[in-house]
Amino acid sequence: MFALAVRSVRQRPGRLAATLLAAFFGAAVVILFNSLHDTAQQPGIDPGSAESLTLTAGVVGGYGTLLVLLGVASTLTLTVRQRSEEMDLLRRTGATPGQIIRMVIGEALLVATAGALLAVGPAVLGGRALVARLHETGQVAAGVDHVLGPIGLGAGFGVTLSAAAGAAWLAVRRVTRGRPGRHRLRTVAGALAVTAGAGGVGATFAMDPTEPALMAAPAFGSILISAGLAAFSPALVRALIPALGGPLRLLFGAGGHLAVLNLRRRATELAGVLMPLILFVGMATVTLCLQAVESDAIAGSGLTRSVEDRNLETLNLVVVGIVTVFCCLLLINSLASATAFRRREFGQQRLAGATRSQVLRMVGAEALVLVLTGVLAGTPAALAGVLSFTAVRTDRIWPGQALPTWLGIVAVAALAAGLAGLVTAVRTVRVPATVAVSA
Amino acid sequence: MSALRLTGVRRAYGSGEAAVTALDGVSLDLATGSFTAVMGPSGSGKTTLLHCAAGLERPDSGLVEVNGEPMPGGSETRLTRFRRERIGFVFQQYNLLPTLTALQNATLPLTLAGKRVDRARAIALLEEVGLGDRLHHRPDQLSGGQRQRVAVARALVTAPSVVFADEPTGALDTRSARDVLALLRSAVDRHGRTVVMVTHDPVAASYADSVIFLADGRLDPAGELRRPSADAIAARLAHLGDQAVGTGV
Repeated sequence: MFALAVRSVRQRPGRLAATLLAAFFGAAVVILFNSLHDTAQQPGIDPGSAESLTLTAGVVGGYGTLLVLLGVASTLTLTVRQRSEEMDLLRRTGATPGQIIRMVIGEALLVATAGALLAVGPAVLGGRALVARLHETGQVAAGVDHVLGPIGLGAGFGVTLSAAAGAAWLAVRRVTRGRPGRHRLRTVAGALAVTAGAGGVGATFAMDPTEPALMAAPAFGSILISAGLAAFSPALVRALIPALGGPLRLLFGAGGHLAVLNLRRRATELAGVLMPLILFVGMATVTLCLQAVESDAIAGSGLTRSVEDRNLETLNLVVVGIVTVFCCLLLINSLASATAFRRREFGQQRLAGATRSQVLRMVGAEALVLVLTGVLAGTPAALAGVLSFTAVRTDRIWPGQALPTWLGIVAVAALAAGLAGLVTAVRTVRVPATVAVSA
Repeated sequence: MSALRLTGVRRAYGSGEAAVTALDGVSLDLATGSFTAVMGPSGSGKTTLLHCAAGLERPDSGLVEVNGEPMPGGSETRLTRFRRERIGFVFQQYNLLPTLTALQNATLPLTLAGKRVDRARAIALLEEVGLGDRLHHRPDQLSGGQRQRVAVARALVTAPSVVFADEPTGALDTRSARDVLALLRSAVDRHGRTVVMVTHDPVAASYADSVIFLADGRLDPAGELRRPSADAIAARLAHLGDQAVGTGV
């Protein structure tokens, strides 16, 4: 079966692109931050440099790893589900469920390994750049060079491969068991994640306000809540549809009508696209707002801001930026993959008399609902972390720059989701409808 | 009055050495209220003929007229608008939308054309195809025969000038096939629709008023068979196959 997996990867590199990209981005982020641990453990390093490196790696590496785990897993779930037809065929030709599971997991591992291998180079370059910035800010002594060692590589490959294999196993099990049952596992996992996230956010209050790692608890908590809420997001889509149906039909015409019908019936399957969207909104809002609050707190502490302080702020933004960009790429990647997969459906709509622009309007209307759902779920998750951190770190509750930051993030999410969906759809409907339905 | 007229329609695929001529100057004229079957060996150009006549593909040259109106050139959008008002299509693989119910699928062409959906009329249509108790079922809750009957209702819902059917019984068991063919027949007899059906099955073709034969992208010069029996059609097809072998194609 592994031979079959290898062959199936070689035959269809295009369909695996989404998985490969997710594994690549994910592994790059994990290797980058965990290589700071390797750097901190070189012999002869001074304790100050080692502490700065470990702190940066720990604060971001923790929730960064969680994000990668969730991101790679959600992409895998999406791509495995896209192949349910092929798996049905294999089953009918006599493949046992065990063989199919081994094939899909083998494939996932193969692609994830390729993605992680490709990520090593960029991660080393990124690590060097990051350590160079740490030199500039004086947090790390100039003589300390960036090193990639067993921790960075182990974490990078370990996280990427286990996320890929785990998600492939869960997704393929659902497919080989025939009709998907009620998603009880997902509901339980979602509830657990929300509870754990609330715990993380709550832990903020138990910590010392001046502790440098204070940001990690609310950030981690918010991201966990985001992931947990993603499990319930299909229900949110269903709840939104009655209210949105009218405006969507008015705004997008027959395209809006089709979007409403699709969203209602496919809400459960949308979880794979909603997960990165909610993670992006939740994660970007919480980390960027925390950073802004932290900077304000330092500025307000009465000490004059030195050049180092400003450098430190920039550095933190760079670090947060890397993770934010990762989430945004993940969102684009999964939406593009999900849209390209609908080639046949778009063809059928066109054969029934839909013009290209009606199909595109449908995709636009769906993207709008997805973004709205992502914002509605991601915002409260982020708010939990932001408000508790602000309360502990400062004597206020409402952070000053939160609103413009949030608006910016929503705009980026809408732009990324809209463009990823529409650009892919435009390319997909270029194929003649009669060809699109026959392949 | 002719519902469909093709004049010198040509269509080739590929270019240069590898070019394959699928239609080599086909002309035909089908009267309103007629039921015509198109037959021929595989690769004879049947499906291309149907796609060109239905506006799903553009011919390289030649003219296609529906109810006296020429198929418009220009953007695909113009062609789609023309098509969805005048032409109904039944596919071998149904091509129903999986997220829509039977009723929603059947009325989809009206919705897309921005027309008011006459619910009562659509329900009456689905009752006529025997699906009055399946209105709110989705395609995956219907059998193959039921799906194809939804597709027939969808093809008829706009009261089109011509209904095209591409191997409509190709994926069905004998009984379901008979039901679908009877529906197409009654669309012609009771509602005066015009039906053009591609099929390789002589029994299916025997439901038509006349059968035309296609070989190597041309209409068989021996002409059409009128009110044929399945046996007569099978004999003619065998003859056509021999000819093709005989000319070394």
